Amino acid sequence: MTDLQWGRVSNDAFNVALFSYVAAMVGYFAYLAFRRTSFWAIARTVASVGLFANVVCVVTRGFAAHRVPWGNMYEYSVLLALLVVAGYLLIVEGYYKIHTLGGFALMFSVFTMAIAVSFLYVGPGPLVPALNSYWIKIHVVAAISGSSLFALGGGVLTILFLVQDRRERRQVATLRAQEPPPIMGGSVDVDAPPDFAPDADEPTAGDVVRRGVLPTAATLDRMAYRVIAFAFPVWTFAVIAGAIWAQRAWGRYWGWDPKETWSFVTWVIYAGYLHARSTSGWKGRPAAVIALVGFVSLLITYYAVNLWIVGLHSYKGF
Amino acid sequence: MRTALILLLMLALASVAGSLVPQWPNSPERVVRFQLDHPLVGAFYGRAGLFDVFGSWWFVLITTLLFVSLVACLFPRTRALVRALRQRPVQAREIDSFRLYEERVVPADPARVIDGSRRVLRRRMFRVARDDDGRPALAAEKGALREVGSLLFHWAFLLIVVGVIYGKGTGFTGRAVVVEGKTWIDAQANYDGQLRTGRFFNGDFTGAGIHLRGFEDTYRRSGQPMDFVSHVDLLDAQGNVVKQTDIRVNDPASIDGIEFFQYGFGWAPVVEVRRGGEVISSEPITFVQDTAPEGVPQLAMPWHGILKLPFLDPEAGLTLELWPDSRAWLQLRTTGESVAMTGEFQPIMFFKVFRGDLTDTSPLSLDTSVMRQAGRGVVGAGQTVDLRTGEALAEGASSKGLTISFPELRQYSVLQVSRDRGVPMVLLAAILVLLGLLPALYTSRRKVWVRAEPNENGTVLKVGGFALQRKPQFDEEFSKLVDAMARAAGEVPAVEEKERVSSR
Ligand code: HEM
Repeated sequence: MTDLQWGRVSNDAFNVALFSYVAAMVGYFAYLAFRRTSFWAIARTVASVGLFANVVCVVTRGFAAHRVPWGNMYEYSVLLALLVVAGYLLIVEGYYKIHTLGGFALMFSVFTMAIAVSFLYVGPGPLVPALNSYWIKIHVVAAISGSSLFALGGGVLTILFLVQDRRERRQVATLRAQEPPPIMGGSVDVDAPPDFAPDADEPTAGDVVRRGVLPTAATLDRMAYRVIAFAFPVWTFAVIAGAIWAQRAWGRYWGWDPKETWSFVTWVIYAGYLHARSTSGWKGRPAAVIALVGFVSLLITYYAVNLWIVGLHSYKGF
Repeated sequence: MRTALILLLMLALASVAGSLVPQWPNSPERVVRFQLDHPLVGAFYGRAGLFDVFGSWWFVLITTLLFVSLVACLFPRTRALVRALRQRPVQAREIDSFRLYEERVVPADPARVIDGSRRVLRRRMFRVARDDDGRPALAAEKGALREVGSLLFHWAFLLIVVGVIYGKGTGFTGRAVVVEGKTWIDAQANYDGQLRTGRFFNGDFTGAGIHLRGFEDTYRRSGQPMDFVSHVDLLDAQGNVVKQTDIRVNDPASIDGIEFFQYGFGWAPVVEVRRGGEVISSEPITFVQDTAPEGVPQLAMPWHGILKLPFLDPEAGLTLELWPDSRAWLQLRTTGESVAMTGEFQPIMFFKVFRGDLTDTSPLSLDTSVMRQAGRGVVGAGQTVDLRTGEALAEGASSKGLTISFPELRQYSVLQVSRDRGVPMVLLAAILVLLGLLPALYTSRRKVWVRAEPNENGTVLKVGGFALQRKPQFDEEFSKLVDAMARAAGEVPAVEEKERVSSR
C-alpha cells in the first residue's frame, strides 16, 4: 500500500474509533441508568471494537509517516485516548471488576479525539530533525502513559469520587434526621478495605447509603490513589527521559522552558498528593482537591503549553 | 516536612510565573517587546525579577531554604531507619487482638513448631527474633525497603539539586559561529558576547578547537527540514586533530568536557573587493536573516550582511542583501509570493555603498548617519560589478575603480557550546530517584507474631499479624503464611485441606 492509502486507512480507523467510543459511552451510561447487564455487555464490546480501531489508527499512521506515530499534537491525542480506554478496560474492569465507570473514561477519550480532529489535525509526514531522536520515543510513550493514568486517577476517578461522596453525605444526613446516629469512626489508612465489600454490581439489600450504581466513595477514593501512585513513577520517568532528550538536542537537560516547567509543576502537585495521603493521613475530599489541581495542571501541560505558550516544545520546527 | 512541602509548592508557583512571563534567557526579544507594550507593568516585572525568575534572588532563596529543610528532616529519618534496622523485632503482648489472627492445632512440640515457623518466615525474607526470655514465641517483620526506598528517593532528590547547582554554577553555555573551512577556538573572545557563565565559573576555557569541514542542510520536497549536519574536526588545546565527526541535531560532539550542539546555520559568502584589479578584501561574511512575518517561511527571507573597508579614504561600508536562490527573488517580484530558499541556485547579492566615517564597530551593523550613499547595484555569482556605477564588468576585463564579486558561497554553522560537569551526577541522582520511588510506593511493611502453646493434642500455633500498607493483599498472604507454618510443624496436608473445606 502507498503512504496515501495508509493515511486514509488511519483516518477511517479514527472515525470508527471515535464513533464506537461515542456509542459505547452512551451504552455505559444506559447501563448506569437502567442496570441491565446486556447494556454493559454491548457497551464493552463496542468499546473494544473502538479500541481495536484506535490501535489500527495509530499503527497505520506510523506506516503512512514512516516513523513512530507520536510526533505531533494530533497523534499524541489519539494515543492518549487509546491508553485511557485501554487503561480503563484493563485496570478498572479487568482488575477491579467495576463496570460502571466506562461512560466517564470514554467521555474523556471522546473529548480528546474530538479536539484532536477539530483543531489539531495534520497529515502524516516526517518529523522535523529536533524530534527525530530515539529518546523522544521513550519520552513520549512515558509521558502519554503517565498523562493517561493521571487523567484516569486524578481526573475521572476523583471527580466521580467527589460526586459520590456528596451523595453519600446527603443520604447519611437524611438518615441521621430519621434515627439516632450510627457510630462513626475508623482509622486513617489509604489501603484499608471499606467495611462493606466493594462489589459494585451487586447492591445488597438494605444498603441504604449505597443505593446508587457507582462504587462507594471509599472505593473510588482508594482506586484514585492506586492509579495516581502508579502514574507518579511513570511521570517521573517521563520527565527524566525528556531531560535526557533535551540534553542531547539542546545541550541542556533543563532550561525552564514552559513545557518543562509545567511538567515539573504537575509532578510537584502529585508529590504533594502522595505526601498528604501517606504522611498526613489525608484522604477523601481534601486529597481529592489536590488531585484535581494536579489534573488541571496536567491539562495545562498538555494543551495550553503546546498551543498558546511559546517554547522549544511548541514543535514549530528547528 | 510541612515546611519543605510548602517551599516546594512555592517553587512550583514561581515556576508558573516563569512560564507565563517571557524570560530573558529563553527569549530576550519577547521581553523587549513586552516592555515596549507595557512600560509600567514591564518596569515592575523587571524590578521583581520576573523576567528572569529562575535566576532571581528569591528563587535561589526558596531553593536554598528547601534544601536546608530537606536536609534537616532527612537526617533524623535516616538515623531512625538505621536504628530500626539494627533493632530486633519486638514481641507483642497480646496477639489475638489483631484483625488477622489464626490458631492451628499441630502434632509437634512447641520448640519444633517455633523452629519451623522461623524457617518459613525467614524463607519469605522476614526479619525474625526469638523471645528473649526463651518462651516459644517469635516476632517478625518485613518491608524496611519501603523506608529505605523513600529515603533513597529523598536523598537522591537532594543530589539532583546539588548536581544542578554544581554543574550550572561551574559551567557555561555560549554560541560558536564557524564558517566552512574555518576553525573556532574555545576562548572568551570567540563567543561574540553570546556567553552565559555560571556563578562560580572561573574562566577556565579549554582552548580546544573545532574545524568546520562542511555543513549540509537538506530538506524534503515539501520544504520541511530533514537534516542539518556539521562535518567537523575536533582539536585539542595544542591544535592536534583528535577526532573527525559529524554534529547533528540530537547528536552532539564533545572534547575536553565541552559539548557542541547543532543550533543553527546561515550563509557566508566570500565577498571580494578589488581596487584596480587588486584584491583589497576577501573574507567570508556571516549573513543573518530578519525574523519572518507570520505566514512567510523563515527561509524565504533574504540574508543581510555588512562589509567594512576602514583602510579606504574616505572609509567605506557596504550593506549586502543575499538571495541564495534568485528564483525566490524573481517570484516575489512577479507574483508577490514568498518561497523558501532551501538551497543555492544562481545566487544574487544586492549592495549599497556608503562613504564617510565608520563610527560603528560592530561587525553586524552599519551606522550610515554620517555617511553618504556612493553607489548601489546587484552582483550575481561569478560576476564582477563596479561599486560606484553598479555596472557589471565584461569577462576578463578589469576596472580602475572599486569592484565587488563573490567567488564563493559558503555556509556557516551555529553551534551551541556548553560545559556542564554536573550532568553525570544529575543523571545518577535521577536514576536513584526512580529506584527509590518504586519500593517507597509499592512495598508494604508487615509484622507477624507467632506463639506456640502446648495442649493435649500437641501444640496450638497462634499467629497474629498486621500490615501498615496494602492490607487487602496482606490478608491473602497471611493465610498462606499460616498454612506454611502449620505444614512445617507437621500438620498433615490432607487434614488441612479437609479443614479448610469444612471451614468455608
Ligand atoms: C523535609 C522534607 C520531606 C520529608 C520529611 C518527607 C517525608 C516523607 C515521608 C515520611 C514519606 C512517607 C514514606 C512512606 O510512606 O514510607 C515521604 C514520601 C514521599 N516523599 Fe517526601 N518528604 C519530604 C520532602 C519531599 C520532597 C521535596 C519531595 C519531592 C519532590 C518528596 C516526595 C516524596 C514522595 C514522592 C514520596 C512517596 C509517597 C509515598 O510514599 O506515598 N518528599 N516523604
